[in-house]
Amino acid sequence: MSTSPENVIVTRNLTKTYRDFWGRPKVKALNSLSIDVKRGEVFGLLGPNGSGKTTTLKLLLGLLFPTDGEVSILGRPATDVSKNEKIGYLPEESYLYRFLNAEETLDFYGRLFDMPASVRKERTRELIKMVQLDHAKRRQLKEYSKGMTRRIGLAQALINDPELILLDEPTSGLDPIGSRDMKDLIIGLKERGKTVVMCSHLLADVQDVCDRIAILDGGELKVFGRVQDLLKDQGVTQIKTSKLPPEAMKEVEAVLQKHGSKVMEVDNPTATLEELFIKTVRESAARPGQRYIPPSN
Amino acid sequence: MSNLTAFQRKLVYVGGILLLLVPIVLLGSPPDANQEPSRKRPGETEVRVKAGSGGLLSRLRQQHELGEVSLGDVDPTSSTMNLLLLGFRGMATSRLWMDAQDQQKRKEWAELDSTIKSIVLLQPHFLKVWHFQGWNLAYNVSAEWDAVADRYYWVKHGVKFYMEGKDRNEKFPDLYWYTGDTLGKKIGRSDEWKQFREFFRNEPDKEQFPNGFDPEVNPDKKDNYLAARDWFLKANDAADQYNNRQRIMAEPLFRFYPARAKIDYALALQREGNFGEESRAAWEEAFDEWANKYGREEFDCPIGRVYMEVTEEEAQQFQAADQDKPEENLKTLHWVSRYQDMCNYRYWRTRCKIEGESDMAAAHRALFEAEELYRSADFDTAISTYVDGMKKYEAMLEKYPDLKDDDNTIEEVMIAQLFWRDALRIVEGAEPSDEEDFPLKDMWIKHQNRKPMLLEEFQRRQRTGGRTI
Amino acid sequence: MQLSFDPRPFDLLGGLKVWGVVCLVVVALAWGIAGLLMFLQSGAPGLARLIDLTTGLIRDFLQTSPRRVWALAVHTFREAARKRALWVFAVFAVLFLFAGWFMPELKQSPDMAIRNYVSFVLRTITWLTIPVVGLLACWGLPEDIRLRSLHTVVTKPVRRQEIVLGRIVGFLGIGLLVLLIVGSVGYVWIVRQVPENFGQVTARVPIYGELRFLTREGKSEDEQGMEASGVNVGDEAIFRQFVEGNTQARAIWRFEGVDMNRLQNGQLILESTFQSFRTHKGKVDQELLGQFTLVNPKNGVRVPLQTFFNREFRRNSYNVTERNSRGEGGKLELKDEQGRTVDLAKDVLDGGQLDVEVACLSPGQFMGMARPDLFIRLPDRAFLTAYGKGLFSIFLMLTMIVVLGVMSGCFLKGPVATMLTGFIFLVGRLSHDFLQQLTSDKLLDNPKLQMRGRGLLESLYRLPTHLGPQIEVEDNTTQRVIKAIDNIELNALWGVKYLFPDFTQFDATAFVANSFDVPWDAALLPNLATTIGFCVPWIIVGYFALKCRELEAK
Repeated sequence: MSTSPENVIVTRNLTKTYRDFWGRPKVKALNSLSIDVKRGEVFGLLGPNGSGKTTTLKLLLGLLFPTDGEVSILGRPATDVSKNEKIGYLPEESYLYRFLNAEETLDFYGRLFDMPASVRKERTRELIKMVQLDHAKRRQLKEYSKGMTRRIGLAQALINDPELILLDEPTSGLDPIGSRDMKDLIIGLKERGKTVVMCSHLLADVQDVCDRIAILDGGELKVFGRVQDLLKDQGVTQIKTSKLPPEAMKEVEAVLQKHGSKVMEVDNPTATLEELFIKTVRESAARPGQRYIPPSN
Repeated sequence: MSNLTAFQRKLVYVGGILLLLVPIVLLGSPPDANQEPSRKRPGETEVRVKAGSGGLLSRLRQQHELGEVSLGDVDPTSSTMNLLLLGFRGMATSRLWMDAQDQQKRKEWAELDSTIKSIVLLQPHFLKVWHFQGWNLAYNVSAEWDAVADRYYWVKHGVKFYMEGKDRNEKFPDLYWYTGDTLGKKIGRSDEWKQFREFFRNEPDKEQFPNGFDPEVNPDKKDNYLAARDWFLKANDAADQYNNRQRIMAEPLFRFYPARAKIDYALALQREGNFGEESRAAWEEAFDEWANKYGREEFDCPIGRVYMEVTEEEAQQFQAADQDKPEENLKTLHWVSRYQDMCNYRYWRTRCKIEGESDMAAAHRALFEAEELYRSADFDTAISTYVDGMKKYEAMLEKYPDLKDDDNTIEEVMIAQLFWRDALRIVEGAEPSDEEDFPLKDMWIKHQNRKPMLLEEFQRRQRTGGRTI
Repeated sequence: MQLSFDPRPFDLLGGLKVWGVVCLVVVALAWGIAGLLMFLQSGAPGLARLIDLTTGLIRDFLQTSPRRVWALAVHTFREAARKRALWVFAVFAVLFLFAGWFMPELKQSPDMAIRNYVSFVLRTITWLTIPVVGLLACWGLPEDIRLRSLHTVVTKPVRRQEIVLGRIVGFLGIGLLVLLIVGSVGYVWIVRQVPENFGQVTARVPIYGELRFLTREGKSEDEQGMEASGVNVGDEAIFRQFVEGNTQARAIWRFEGVDMNRLQNGQLILESTFQSFRTHKGKVDQELLGQFTLVNPKNGVRVPLQTFFNREFRRNSYNVTERNSRGEGGKLELKDEQGRTVDLAKDVLDGGQLDVEVACLSPGQFMGMARPDLFIRLPDRAFLTAYGKGLFSIFLMLTMIVVLGVMSGCFLKGPVATMLTGFIFLVGRLSHDFLQQLTSDKLLDNPKLQMRGRGLLESLYRLPTHLGPQIEVEDNTTQRVIKAIDNIELNALWGVKYLFPDFTQFDATAFVANSFDVPWDAALLPNLATTIGFCVPWIIVGYFALKCRELEAK
């Protein structure tokens, strides 16, 4: 398989068929997937539940063996253990050891990388700070909330300062602030030159951070390309103005009619729900005590 | 509830638990023990549980005699084991039983002993288990050991095992009896009876028993037969007190053991060459016990209750009353004699009576001493002592002709004759012919058919002096 | 003395040979079958993959990182500790509190009491630690896989054998900790339990010899020209052979490496546990009389010693020096058969070989002997030594269980892994004799008897035709075919036997409880060899299973 240095991941005709007990094909989870992921980009795998995105990730990691096709990751086969030296992986749910506390968790995974004690200590401290778990670093993970577990999961994925980070549903289960932080983190990683592959079914997340995406459905690759290119609809122009009086509105319509176009929808522009939520929470933190009072008739 | 602190909640739980305990205590509290249940004197029986004490369940259990306590002493270990095993105690016991057999086969005595202990922990009220394994220890295991002191240890071990079984089942006469039986028969009648009887009063293991006797099996430092008698008495007491029949033998036979032990005691004294006042007194006591105590005990029979010691007057009364009865088996005297036959009552009665006489003792002593003289090669004195003894014997036989048919008498007489004749052969070169006159001539001629068998015994005694009869 | 107790030095070379053969056969079979399957599935690339896997094994094992293994081990230990698996201590403590209840009181002889105490402790330790550690080992990996926490581990640069090894070392750590604590409690308990007048518990060090017999005519061969043997007196369990009293029948032990310097204060002590068998009562109150004769096979010096009485089922200690000394000072005085005074060191023990002839002197009576019934007692070691070695044997058994459990956890779910481990353990513990018997043509409890009709087909033939095992079947073609087929299946069975380790061999109770030191060559070495011999292949199997397993597949 040809791998250029900038291609971190290359798959060719990657196929996975689950079989039943007797070896008869049961489900074709992935069919002939061929994609490349370039160094330094944030790559998104999209698709509804059961579309094959997690299967793809697990094939990349060697947790599953392909029925057909090939995978190369950092220039090595997926089953080669040494590739893991430079990979960080955040599983769908953070499958960590619930009887360990945050520090022990990071220390344990650090040891698996054969890291010297001083480095381990330093990395642990940094990462706990980064994921804002300072206050809970001595508590066992079984006492953690879902968001905290996600964050410690991310921390363990970064323990070895990996080149390639694989994130499975990184924002699932997070509240909007957590989600935002996560996205900021991903962008931060990208800025430091890391390659990130994430899969998600939340389009907004992907839209915010990914450079390129692949949309899978039923194990087939449906769409593949740069996000900006994919989202740009050339047939629609959106005009944003300050508030228009009805007369002016009519005039605008007339002008548009003259050019053979028409108003499809006129509305006040709104932010996404996510943006509104964040704005509200941020404002409430800044000015405690303020409440929303519905207008009286 | 929700605004309580964790501590308060815990307090509430504790309160709830205590509340639930109240009915449990009321219903299920165990009966009070009014005495320390552990180390008692063996065989002591007392009602240990206060009537009506304890919770409702225990009261009901007592009322209907359903509890384990109603069988005997309860061992906490045993109950714990059975509780832990749930319903599997039968299986566990069977497995252990096979292990025990295997260990016995491999002669692993310590292991065998601990397996047996586990078996009775699981089945403390199964009398046959106690009986079988007690016998096994006292007879089979002891016989495997070569040193007499070791054998004696295992006989005692078997006895102690029976005693423990008795503690668990003290309302049943069986294990009392087996204890007595082993103390009497095994110690007094084995091949090693001389050593065993000596050990019983004078332990071989001086280090462990500096006083010379084992307080567990012989607390009063008695003769083994007299110690056995105590246990037979207790067996009879237990049967009376708890109204539990033994399941070993016919009732009249079972009841005669205390008296029988006295007879055995007297016999043992004679076997050891004791023909003085001690042995005579023992026979006298044996007679008293046999005729006046045992003989007046009443036993069930199809026509009511009968006893065996019937005086002349009573016999006449019975005969008068029986006259009208058409069938033989409706008559009282018929049953009296049937029971007498069963227990060999008349023989033992006569035997005790005769042996209680000083002339008889003198006859025995003369024969015993003559034999000793023979063995020490003083044949002349032996011959004269034999003649003297045999004459005395003859006189007693004239007085009590019944004795002439008694096996013991025949054997004693025949062997005395054999020794006497041998001594004569040595001294005079010939033994008297049947034409000549000599003491006990009738017996000698009548029982010639027994001679070959008794010759063996004679030869054995010639060599070693060890008596098997 | 237990009838089956017969420690013999382990034949390491022979063991290795069998191990090698079995391993080769198993590897060849596994390779053959796997290769065939993979070839059928994907043709030549399948074979390439097999070769790849095999070379990968070597590569992976060479790259094993001890630090990672240690990290995983510590992790495993911590997991078990935090899950409160160590509650077993409490159970143990309670057991000992009430142990007195279950112990029979045997005051007959100190060694019996000590035997009961020691075997109780060792048995309890065994049966308490094995289930705990075994369950932990069987459930560890499957749970890790089920909860997917292993995913975060295998996506680190961790090789599969490191996971297997890490788990094993971790569980062994738990086992070791439990064993140490429980063992110390047990030790203190034994020492306190044994009454003072019984003397100290100790560990005897024996030199065993090889035993042969002379017939009652004093010949070393019987009428049939077979090697002479003792008399069988009809004991159910045939173990000892009997020597007739007052005849020329002898039991002769040959001891090697007997040296003055090894003896206790220069004293030669013979310990024996002969059995007595009487054909007549004899002197009831006197034990059977016996006599030792020391013979130097090199220079032919024969020294009859003072006679002894044999106390049956007891340890008879015969101190040659004390019993043959004369006068106040107790100077050893040995005379040979010609009445010449000889020296123990210079004449008798010269050359390091010593024959001890045993004669029974009581006419008409018999004395029974087996190889371990006579030994030369060297200076004792501390009881703690033997006890520690006993614990070490238990630890080796724990190791086997842990490796077995972890291995089965690599490809089975928790309950099934437990069942597999339990099955192999129980077969190895309870049925090893049976397996041995199946594959051997000798009867175990009497090796002189030949077993016939063991084969499947032959049994099928013998059953309906009512041919007992004593009768040879007629020799014809059918029978030869039957035997040939049976041979194949018996050989297969022979191999299968070696897949089940003999778990009974790890039980050093027979040594420790009988106040013997646990010998290196007869107990520790074979235990160690067995442990390594089984654990290495098991670890490789575990590695392969984990390597070839799709962790995600449900």
